[in-house]
Amino acid sequence: MNDEIDSQREEGVFRFPQGVAGFPGSNRFAFIYTGGDVLCMQSLDEEEAALLLAPWDRDRLGAPPKLTCEQRACLSNADDLLWMVVLNPVADKRWVFANLRAPIAISESMGRGLQCIRIEPDLPLRYPWMEHPEKMAA
Amino acid sequence: MMVLRRRVGEAIRIGDDVRIVVQEVRDGRVVRLGIEAPPDVAVHRLEIFELIQRENRQARDGALAWLSQRADEKQTEERV
Repeated sequence: MNDEIDSQREEGVFRFPQGVAGFPGSNRFAFIYTGGDVLCMQSLDEEEAALLLAPWDRDRLGAPPKLTCEQRACLSNADDLLWMVVLNPVADKRWVFANLRAPIAISESMGRGLQCIRIEPDLPLRYPWMEHPEKMAA
Repeated sequence: MMVLRRRVGEAIRIGDDVRIVVQEVRDGRVVRLGIEAPPDVAVHRLEIFELIQRENRQARDGALAWLSQRADEKQTEERV
């Protein structure tokens, strides 16, 4: 399906020590730029595990979540975290949703990643992020 | 399913690294647990984990559709 992702590669690989919910066999991911503000995070362990992500927007969402000690340890206590939201483009015909209950933090310097599952019940699972573009690939 | 009886202050251990302590039982209905686990072990409330699991799996379909479309476009470019 994707001829550019080499599952044996070492460079540009992010390890998710706690895995990603729903993809139990996947701990290593790489990122592909899709155009616009969207990235594709694809598993190097399982071809069918991939997610579309967008950078955390402070203007709309405020500060990113605070991590617990355990979560910081999982990210090797990195201080260069880049936060992203997981996009769901298939739940609705008009909107692409962003999941604010489980954003993703990555550290480029440490090559680590974490899906930060949040317990606050008022956080939307499906936050209207943007209207559907004509083609996701642009 | 394995079932164990524990009192407040008592613990169970799972493998070498995970320790769960019963910290409090409130009104006979709510149990407060303390959990020690290595950083690479994810600990979540079940219902929230399952919610995120379902959402991630649905979101995956969008990503796979994009990857598939991208592969088709590359093939077309190569033919041209």
